[in-house]
Amino acid sequence: MQSWSPFKPSTFAGLTHYQELFFYDEVFWKSLWNTVVFMSSSPIAIGLALALALLVDTRIRGRGVYRAIIFISYPLMTVAVGIIWRWLYDEKVGLINYVLLSLHLTQRRIAFLDSYEWAMPSVVVAAVWQIVGFFMVILLAGLQNIPPNLEEAAALDGASAGQRFRHITLPLLRPAIFLCLMIGVINSFTSFDLIYVMTGGGPNYATEVLITYIYRVAFVLSKFDYAAALTIVLFVFLLIVTAVANRLTGGEAGAVDAAE
Amino acid sequence: MRPSRAVAVHATLGAVSVVMLVPFYWVLKTSLTGENIFQYPPALLPRVMHPFYYVDVWYYIPFVRYVINSVIVSVIVVAANLVCNALAAYALTLRFRGKRAIVALLLSCMLIPFQATIIPAYLITKELHLLNSHLGLALPLCSTIVCIFVFKASFDAVPRSLIDAARIDGLAEWRIILHVMLPLSTSAVATTVILSFIWSWNSFLWPLIVIRNQEMQTLPLGLSTFLSYMENTTGALYAFCIMVLVPGVALFLLEQRRFIDGLTSGATKG
Repeated sequence: MQSWSPFKPSTFAGLTHYQELFFYDEVFWKSLWNTVVFMSSSPIAIGLALALALLVDTRIRGRGVYRAIIFISYPLMTVAVGIIWRWLYDEKVGLINYVLLSLHLTQRRIAFLDSYEWAMPSVVVAAVWQIVGFFMVILLAGLQNIPPNLEEAAALDGASAGQRFRHITLPLLRPAIFLCLMIGVINSFTSFDLIYVMTGGGPNYATEVLITYIYRVAFVLSKFDYAAALTIVLFVFLLIVTAVANRLTGGEAGAVDAAE
Repeated sequence: MRPSRAVAVHATLGAVSVVMLVPFYWVLKTSLTGENIFQYPPALLPRVMHPFYYVDVWYYIPFVRYVINSVIVSVIVVAANLVCNALAAYALTLRFRGKRAIVALLLSCMLIPFQATIIPAYLITKELHLLNSHLGLALPLCSTIVCIFVFKASFDAVPRSLIDAARIDGLAEWRIILHVMLPLSTSAVATTVILSFIWSWNSFLWPLIVIRNQEMQTLPLGLSTFLSYMENTTGALYAFCIMVLVPGVALFLLEQRRFIDGLTSGATKG
C-alpha cells in the first residue's frame, strides 16, 4: 500500500494502486482471466490421470514400467521442458507441425506459440503433459487404499462395473482427487517457468498470467509497489479458490491431524 | 482378466507412453546425431551418431561454471533442510506452551506459495547484501514446512520409552536427535533430500531475480539465457537440455521407488 521503489522515498499511497489495478489496468484483467483459463487445465489433467490410474491399477504385466514412464516428466527441470516443447511447437522445424501436415490434419503450418488463439492451449497441453504422471501416482495410492472386498461385495450383489466405479471407487477416492485439485490450483497460480520460457507471456498478453505479470512489473519495470498490490490480489484470489474447492469437495480432505 | 481386455489396456498405456516419451526421444536423437534442424522432412530415426552439438555446448557456454553453481546451491539447500527441519520437527514432538499455535501457523503458511513472497524476499536479500551470491540463492529454500511435517510424523512414530531410556542414560538432546531419532527415520531423511534437491536444482524464478552476472548463473538460468541469445533453432540448445536433464533422470531411475514416494509424500503429508 506504500508507494515505494528503490529510487523514490516512500510515501503512503492509500488505495490508489488498487484503484489503478481494478479500473485502469487492462493487462491485469487479462492476466487474471488467463490464470483462470490456465487453472482449468487441472481438471483435464486430473481426469486423464484418473483414467491412467485405473488402467495402471489393473493386474497387467509391466505396469511398473508404465507408471515410471508416465511419471518421469514431473520431476524434470521445467525450463528444459519448456524449451523442448517450444521446439516441438515451432512453426517451421517443429515435430508437431510435421506430424499434422503428414497426416493431412491441417493444410497450413500453425505457429502455435506465436498465434493469439493457439498460444494458451499449447502451453496448457505442455503443462498437462508434465503434471499428469504426478496426479496419476497420487490417485493410484488412493485407489490402492480402497479395500478390495468392498468391490467384490458389490460385484456379488450384481453391481455393474460402471455402478461400482460411481458408487464405491469415486466416493472413496474423493480425498485423493481433492488433493490433486489443490495441488493443481496452487500450481497454476505459480507456474512461472513454463510460461516464461515458452511464450514470455505473449503474444499480445495471450498467455500473461498473474505471476508472469508480477515478475514483469516488479523486476523489469521496477514498480515494486504496484507489484506488491498485484501479489495481494493473487493471494486473496488463491485463498478464495481454495476455500471454494474445499466447500465443493466437502472439505474432509483438507483436514490434517494438526496438533498431536 | 480376459486377454482381449489386457490387449486393450496395453494398447492404451502404450500409446500414452509414446506421447510421454516422444519429446525426450526427439531431443535425444537430434542432439546425438548433430543433424541439421532445418532439414525437411526431418529424419524420424537417427542415422549417424555425432557429438557435434555437445562440443558446441562446451565452447559456447561456461557449462562447468553453471554446474558448480548449481551444485553449491543444492548442497547448501539440502544440508540446511536436513538440519533446520529435523530440529524443528524434534521441537514439535516435545511439550511446550503455545505449541498448538505454532503448528497452526506452520500449517496456514503452507498455503502461501513462495511465488507470492518474491518481492519481500528480494528486498530482504538485498538488505542482507546477499544478492548475486550462492547463499542468497539458497536462503529462501533452506527450510520447507512440508519437510518439517514429514520429519515430525516419523519422529512421532519413535517409541517414547526409547527416548526416555536415552535420557536416563544421560544423552544430551542433540545426541538424542543424532543417535536415536535420525537413524530411525531414514525414509524421512530420503524424502527431505530428494525434495529439497529437486526444488533447488530446478529452481528458476528466484535465480532469475537474484543473479545479475553470468559468473553466478545456475543451470536453469544458463539454459534460459542461452535460449534468449541463440533462439530455439540451435542444436546445441538441445544438447544442453539433455546434459541438464541427465542427473534428474539418472537419480529417478536409480531410486525410483523412493523418488516417487518422496515426491508424493511431500504433497500428501502436508
